[in-house]
Amino acid sequence: MMEAVQIRHRHLLDLEDWSASEIESLWRTTDAMVEVMQRKVKKVPALQGLTIVTLFFENSTRTRLSFERAAKAQSAEVLNFAAGGSSLSKGESLKDTLKAIDAMQADLYVVRHGVAGTPHQMSRWTDASIVNAGDGRRAHPTQALLDGYTFRQGFRGFDGFRGKRLVIVGDVMHSRVARSNIGLWTKLGAEVVLCGPRTLLPTELGQWPGVQRCFRLEEAVEGAHAVMALRMQRERMQSGLFPSVSEYQARYQLTAKVMERAHPDALVMHPGPMNRDVEIEGVLADSPRSVIEQQVAHGVPVRMAVLYSLLVGRAR
Amino acid sequence: MRQMIKDARIAGLTEGTEVADLYWRDGVIEGVGVGGEVDRVWEAKGAFLAPALMDLQAHFCDPGQEVREGLAAGMKAAAAGGFGTVVVMPDTEPVLDDAAQVAHLQARAEALGGVRVRVAGALSRGLNGEQIADLAALQQAGVVLATDGVMAVRDGHLFRRACEYAEELGLLVQGGGLDRNLCQAGVMHEGRVSERLGLPGQPAIAERLALYRDAEIARMTGARVHFGHVTTSESVELLAWLRAQGAPISVGTTPHHLLLSEESMAPFDPRCKVFPPLRPPSDAKALRQALIDGKIDCIATDHQPWTLAEKEQDLVQAPAGIAGLETAWAVLYTALVVPRLLTVERLLELWTSGPARVMGWKEPRLVAGEAADMVLLDLDTPRPVEPMGFFSKSRISPWDGQNLCGWPIATFVRGQCCFTREGFGEASRTSVHRTERL
Repeated sequence: MMEAVQIRHRHLLDLEDWSASEIESLWRTTDAMVEVMQRKVKKVPALQGLTIVTLFFENSTRTRLSFERAAKAQSAEVLNFAAGGSSLSKGESLKDTLKAIDAMQADLYVVRHGVAGTPHQMSRWTDASIVNAGDGRRAHPTQALLDGYTFRQGFRGFDGFRGKRLVIVGDVMHSRVARSNIGLWTKLGAEVVLCGPRTLLPTELGQWPGVQRCFRLEEAVEGAHAVMALRMQRERMQSGLFPSVSEYQARYQLTAKVMERAHPDALVMHPGPMNRDVEIEGVLADSPRSVIEQQVAHGVPVRMAVLYSLLVGRAR
Repeated sequence: MRQMIKDARIAGLTEGTEVADLYWRDGVIEGVGVGGEVDRVWEAKGAFLAPALMDLQAHFCDPGQEVREGLAAGMKAAAAGGFGTVVVMPDTEPVLDDAAQVAHLQARAEALGGVRVRVAGALSRGLNGEQIADLAALQQAGVVLATDGVMAVRDGHLFRRACEYAEELGLLVQGGGLDRNLCQAGVMHEGRVSERLGLPGQPAIAERLALYRDAEIARMTGARVHFGHVTTSESVELLAWLRAQGAPISVGTTPHHLLLSEESMAPFDPRCKVFPPLRPPSDAKALRQALIDGKIDCIATDHQPWTLAEKEQDLVQAPAGIAGLETAWAVLYTALVVPRLLTVERLLELWTSGPARVMGWKEPRLVAGEAADMVLLDLDTPRPVEPMGFFSKSRISPWDGQNLCGWPIATFVRGQCCFTREGFGEASRTSVHRTERL
């Protein structure tokens, strides 16, 4: 059905230890999966007989559905475990919770947790593969993979990431999407500019190689090849991180006007869910520059490729 | 009962590999080489005999959370770590803010026998930071130190009044370690590593500002204030400066802040979550230098036991604290004395006369007439850290599996043996000189 990818990893915890060629290889598998999703019968037997458990300690229906579709399209069994509150509130440690579920003999866990590092901790307690579906503010590797894939497919005359510039606007501090995209894009040779109020742009992040901070949106967007707006959560005002939504809109809302400063082919991205007319102007989100719908659409084939690569296509 | 330790290298009394015999009757030292019949001989075989260590900061979680430790387990763990005296912290359930509670705890410790347990009482009632606890009554009941714990008292005015009140009583106060508001929900040191790990951090100034306020209040009120877990280079310098200005303060730190760094958190290891948080390696290095410079007066374990189920959580849920009583001496001896960064005499001072001076107690020495509180240390044989063999109920250690030297092999308090490591003392039992006493 497809070429064998040479991916060495048992887990996808983050992209730190994934090489550029492994990522490219994963995207080639994604191309094949896109083709599968265009067929009349959107199902292949690749993961038949394997069991995947989605383990969501933090609610995210979309991400869970996307993984579930990716697993079922490859004929895997899927079990869903939603642990709304903490396991401690039930008097059980995280390790015991995982051990109990491990009795189901799963081959792979898709883990979403509100605290950074939890998928790493879990990988020490089970023999199954772990895919990080978002941990705290640390990483959301499948989101970054689908964002990168969307740019690769959508940027006119795409000739690689080297020399490209991604601007990420908004609450970078609390964003796992931002951290994973920074890691991915800089690894592939692009520059990343972080833009937003100083309170939401950690100093340390600005010191990572290939990363700059910029507090003025007009300057940040200058010549950019892709601009990604992040969801602005209203709770952040209460924690004293910025004064008001109107002030945020005035200074950092991504608009069609400000996008005029970007590269003529620049793409507008948003990892969702979107607050229209807060962090992004509604008409811009619907404009031809916007690839927000493609991002969502690529979620399934990218996750199919991840599951396939870890469970079947892995170099042993 | 008259006893003797045979062939020991004795701190402050013998040189190099020279050995001597130390005699004591009941709880009091008679001296070196006194001779005469004894009831029991302990064969030291060249091991190092020192005054028992003193720990000014340990959490025994008794009463209320005995599942984590409790008095009996805590005292055994202390003895196994070579400690003869331990000051236990008041963050129990209920809080140790009541004289009867304190008296009862001490009576229970006396009844158990072994390590001397001294009590730190709450500075504010219920540790709520709103009303000064009955410090005079607490002191009457035996409290030796008043503290609200690692987080600084929120209200500076209350801390000032508590210091004035304690000063008049001659009671030592422990100052705040961290400013609660600046710490927010941080679970580790804020900086390069916390950003990489995506974990919320607490800025280093949360410590320095808390120390600064409380040290200035000490200077203004004349109250003796001890800072028990000072963890950054800048905090050490600040307190040294304030001391030079006449602030009646003293400074302590912990084995984990001396030896571990924020990097220990990188594998997402809740064992290394502790407050104040582990700092960058440069701070740990500066703390080690401060041991040599004398800017640090004592080391304390801040022994904080948690159950495995409590620690095996994500890094926000997992509670902060390291249970270090049983490894405290060995980790520092191995990391600092073996590579000759510190002399064994200085390390010993930081665990014995150092804390004694902080508390205003007599400095322990192994000479005639002094209490026979002693520890015998095997400075040469490496052994791995095996948490499953801990006396503490908290069988978790950041040093799990590491090979360490310097392990205590026997601890004596009031002349009575309250700990021997496996294999020690067996042979000596057969060589007891029984005498007919008239």
